Amino acid sequence: MKRFDLIVIGTGLAGLTAARTAVEMGAKVLITGRGMGALTLFGNTIDLLGEIPPETEMAEGIPRWIAAHPEHPYARTGWEGIESALADFRGLFPPPYSFAAEGKRNSLLPTGAGTMRPTYLIPATMAAGAAMTPVGTLIVGLRGFKDFQGDTVSLHLKCRGVTLSLPRYGLEGLTALALARLMDEASFRERLGEAIRRQMAGERFIGLPAVLGLRNPAVVLKTLEEITGARVFEIPMLPPSIPGTRVFHRFREELIAKGTIFLMGHPVSGANVKDGRCEGITVENPPLAAEYRADRYILATGRFLGGGLWAEMERIVEPLFRIPVFQPGGRGMWFGERFFDPEAHPIHRAGIVTDADLRPVDETGRVVLENVRAAGSILAHHQATEEKSREGIDIATGFLAAKRALAS
Amino acid sequence: MTKAEERPVLFPKLPDVCVRCATCMAACPVSRVTPRFPGPKQAGPGAQRFRSASEASVDDWIELCTSCHLCDMVCPAGVPISELNLMAKAKYLNERGRTFRDWLLVRSDLFGELAARFSKIVNPLMKNGAVRRLLDVLLRIDRRRDLPGYEYPTFRRWFRTRPVASGASGRRKVAYFYGCFTNTNETDVGKAAVEVLEAHGLTVVVPPQRCCGIPRLGVGDLRGAMEMGGRNIDLLRPTVREGIDIVFSSTSCGLMLRHEYSRLLGLPGAEELAGHLFDICEFLLHLREEEKSAVTFRPLSMKAAYFAPCHLRSLDIGLPALELLRLIPGLDVRLLEADCCGLGGLYGFKKEKFTIAEEIGKDLTEAVDRMKPEIILTDCEGCRMQIRHLTGLRVLHPLQLLRDALPQPIAHP
Repeated sequence: MKRFDLIVIGTGLAGLTAARTAVEMGAKVLITGRGMGALTLFGNTIDLLGEIPPETEMAEGIPRWIAAHPEHPYARTGWEGIESALADFRGLFPPPYSFAAEGKRNSLLPTGAGTMRPTYLIPATMAAGAAMTPVGTLIVGLRGFKDFQGDTVSLHLKCRGVTLSLPRYGLEGLTALALARLMDEASFRERLGEAIRRQMAGERFIGLPAVLGLRNPAVVLKTLEEITGARVFEIPMLPPSIPGTRVFHRFREELIAKGTIFLMGHPVSGANVKDGRCEGITVENPPLAAEYRADRYILATGRFLGGGLWAEMERIVEPLFRIPVFQPGGRGMWFGERFFDPEAHPIHRAGIVTDADLRPVDETGRVVLENVRAAGSILAHHQATEEKSREGIDIATGFLAAKRALAS
Repeated sequence: MTKAEERPVLFPKLPDVCVRCATCMAACPVSRVTPRFPGPKQAGPGAQRFRSASEASVDDWIELCTSCHLCDMVCPAGVPISELNLMAKAKYLNERGRTFRDWLLVRSDLFGELAARFSKIVNPLMKNGAVRRLLDVLLRIDRRRDLPGYEYPTFRRWFRTRPVASGASGRRKVAYFYGCFTNTNETDVGKAAVEVLEAHGLTVVVPPQRCCGIPRLGVGDLRGAMEMGGRNIDLLRPTVREGIDIVFSSTSCGLMLRHEYSRLLGLPGAEELAGHLFDICEFLLHLREEEKSAVTFRPLSMKAAYFAPCHLRSLDIGLPALELLRLIPGLDVRLLEADCCGLGGLYGFKKEKFTIAEEIGKDLTEAVDRMKPEIILTDCEGCRMQIRHLTGLRVLHPLQLLRDALPQPIAHP
């Protein structure tokens, strides 16, 4: 049976990053996920740490923040680790559809809820959103597209808004993916551009839902900007995230081209652990179960949605390896009073505690599995949603886990 | 025909596992091209919460699901989406009744042998404009779709009458499930399979077999599919009991035999069979990894594209054909970045669904245009038909190219 250098469990951004890092180092890699991972749920921009105010450079803010949060996953990677991981990520997206930070700081980007949200790396199709001003921006919604309410967005952002209808295309009831696919067609985007131009009253910025093409987003952007003479930006909205889908496809394409075995659609149902080492994992595709073996493993199965963590009656468990999980107290302590408390619900602090090498440890700090590392949101002591650090944690720890795994 | 409520519940339906995350909406090939199908989230777990065995089905769009299974593959919660769709489709069609077209099309295994025998008459007829118009009007089989030609002798006949290879005794045996299409419409795929397996030091046996039954699933005929499955299990059991593994070259037949017989249809004996069934390329890779065979392919200088069929993705074994093709020196082979060819088996032949199949296929055509390959390789006969139709390029099963790259090429017609 074929033996891999590394098996990555989880096809979210952390797993994909780990797999790519390992492949770049020449390793024979298998990646497996029970679904497509969370990139279609978030994955619009690369958050690093939204808490750092836009005035502060990340190179200055993050090391200071890490010093105050010694248990945070970023304390394992350090600012240098984050920087090299992000540089690697950016290398996967050459221009024109590239990711960049505005002045090495957080920028505020408009969202589909009509709020301004801090984020770090921004895809080329959203960059203009960071420069928009309420006066001088037109928000364009598409009639019949339920996932983006242009009126709400323009109302909250205090800009002018229009909702367009393109009858010939029968947009009514179209999904984000269907729209993105239409945008890849030159005739459609040109027609849309013309329709927008007719609605303009001297605006310099145009905001549209984040559906500007699946294959050629930069081309769609260019067409719309040329026709309207304004700077165009995508606004992140409800799932499924088209920008996230682009990221997923890019990773998958690259991994398969480099010889990675890419499995998707069935859960890892068991792990064969002997003397503190993982000897193999089982992927369940009923009625069969296939065993795969590697020298090292990276667990990047996410939290509750991805299935990396599981809530039993009184405990949070990691179902695959039964790795000890940091507990946020008993069930009664899991949730705060109000849903939208600015402080994360205690349950979100649950996760796997690791050593400096990202190897899971127990309560006493002893490494529980010699050849298994954890990466991404399954790690304990972060508040990815509230801190706005999800993608940063995924990329930085996925990168580090692969580097350390292959060095061992 | 049995009513849905008379059938035993074969498996628990779990719509409530769905958290409405909409990941499937980023994968569904049908809802990406038409708003007429609400997409897997709505059609599967969404509508399932309102379905009742005692009430008539109102799912007028449920037939638009192609059963590609891509939604199942991306779902992070493990919702059996395509299965929910299939059960709803079965109920809908059980109530409405199936057309003569459906009855006819799913019996290609019965008519295929006959059509192959008279292929000299049948093939020109199927290309005849008047016949096609008639089929279009009467049976609603779209006349813009090329019907596959029949070949004689069939693969089965060819295999039975070929001279037995010398020095074959004492070699490890492997059984081959060729599938209807290979038998009567693309016999060269079967011949290539035999040649490649023999070149890897194996003796090929061809046990008696019937249509796997997946066309019947396509029209929601679960009972019919179960009958076909039961027969195949009986026919293939002796081979498996002899300790002989069975390989398949059609990924859709393979998915049906290996997984749907047990997971979906719960047929007795299906699990025993599944443990001995392998995709032919997966099997060959295993052989090489176990160092039981080390065929060195000869160079083929060519730019090739490989397309991964949806049902191969559902097998979840990676891309073994692509791995094998990469072992051919000089062959520049790359994966086509496209999801689903659009044909969906019989789906794309049906007049009311032709446009949807074409529109889904457009994305694949564009991927081909970007890559500009000389040849396209894919494991599924449906995908091959559709890609030929869409691109006009030469489209082969990976085995056919592997055969051409064998060290001592065996002459083939």
